[in-house]
Amino acid sequence: MHYLTDPFQYEFIRRAVLAAVIIGVLCAALGTFIVLRRMAVVGHALTHSALPGLVIAYLMGGSLFAGALIATVLTALGIGFLARDENVYEDTLVGMVPNIMFAFGILLISTTKSFRDLFSMLFGNILGITDGDLHLIMLISAVSLIALFLFYKELKLFSVDPNYAKTIGMPVKFMHYGILLFLSFTVVVGIQAVGTVLTNALLVIPVAAARLLTDRLGVMMILSCIFAVLSAIGGIYLSYYFGSASGASIVMFAALIFALAWVYKFIYDYKAK
Amino acid sequence: MKFPYCQHRHSSPDPKAPALEIQGLGVSYSSEGKFALRDFDISVPAGSSLALVGPNGAGKSTLFKAICGLLPIRKGHIRVFGHPLDACHHRVVYLPQRSEIDWYFPISVLDLVVMGRYVYLGWFTRPDKRDIEIARLSLKEMNVLDLAHRQISKLSGGQQQRVLIARALAQNADLLLLDEPLNAVDATTRQTVTEILHKVKTQGKTVIVATHYFDQEEGRYDKAIYLKDGKKCII
Repeated sequence: MHYLTDPFQYEFIRRAVLAAVIIGVLCAALGTFIVLRRMAVVGHALTHSALPGLVIAYLMGGSLFAGALIATVLTALGIGFLARDENVYEDTLVGMVPNIMFAFGILLISTTKSFRDLFSMLFGNILGITDGDLHLIMLISAVSLIALFLFYKELKLFSVDPNYAKTIGMPVKFMHYGILLFLSFTVVVGIQAVGTVLTNALLVIPVAAARLLTDRLGVMMILSCIFAVLSAIGGIYLSYYFGSASGASIVMFAALIFALAWVYKFIYDYKAK
Repeated sequence: MKFPYCQHRHSSPDPKAPALEIQGLGVSYSSEGKFALRDFDISVPAGSSLALVGPNGAGKSTLFKAICGLLPIRKGHIRVFGHPLDACHHRVVYLPQRSEIDWYFPISVLDLVVMGRYVYLGWFTRPDKRDIEIARLSLKEMNVLDLAHRQISKLSGGQQQRVLIARALAQNADLLLLDEPLNAVDATTRQTVTEILHKVKTQGKTVIVATHYFDQEEGRYDKAIYLKDGKKCII
């Protein structure tokens, strides 16, 4: 039993667990719509695009959070804007923009010859989270979750039948940009936990696992949140006992849950035949 | 308190106006592309039924999408019950071809049909018991009430069609635009759909059906018009 409680004697672990739980819930709740709207690659694009913002903020001594947020929001709106006239396919843009942004970030940091901080930007450092970070995470998560709750019904219709949503007068363009905006918020929060490279994993893997187990949207969201929280806490334990990188441990834990869900589904379907 | 999705909504129909009046309509999918529909005129009296016949690509879906505001109108104008389009959205329901819906989305048949009530709810208001009751009644009318709790991916083509029509009934619109409702459906669905179309017409609603095969249905509509290459043609 003390294996479970031991880590909690440290303040930084308690803070990390709390942050991980909040981030996990936010990523899974929004991730549900991202996955169902087939926007998982957009999440991937945004997570990678945060890097130059982080680096510029770091070089200027500003808030990393603000830097990442600005870079991500600009990318999200930029992709939405460029995809509008269909001269370049949206998936081409989504495949292209993150690489450019990522390369730009690496280029910037390579001028400083300091790669130590780059590591935590790329892979996250949830064990090093400060009180200030935690407050910001709470604020962003609260706003995003309230928005999800308020617009749940509209998001549902917009995802299943966007044309019908438009015919009854829903501002579908506005909603699309809204989702991108909240995705940016979530990505920036996720970066704190698992870094730019792995945040998309937290948005997608728990949801993908939940989708295997249920056909109900509400149940799927709750399951996704549970899986994300389990992954976050499990990852921190792994990191604590084996000294592994926290972000990567969280993602591997999520992958393990996905694998178990997949096997369960496989056996269930096999028996049903 | 209600927060409708769009302002200037829910105007009462003008009793003297036709259900649908279109003059000189021109529609294209992009701003410089060729017109998918050209110089199109039509007047459909309230309470009548019309078949819109033509091969695939003739412009039937384009016309429907223009009527319900999914495509920008480049020329001419459309009036629904005497009002411009955006004042009467709730009175028009467009039944898309089945392929336009994400059938793998994790919701039940009942959830999907309740969505037909959203136009009356607007932002922030959740469907109440009455909305759910209306949705159940619509499902019953389409003989699919037993599927209410089934996930939408587990429906056959005919069942999908009946569920979509149930959603249209739940919206209680006065002008129904149905895009190929009898395309690749089973005999039971065909019969149910035909009966329901007849029934809504007797309730004073206006029905326009797009179809690419007409023989089997001739005689059931008040009028038929033929579309080819985006233009009305006379046979």
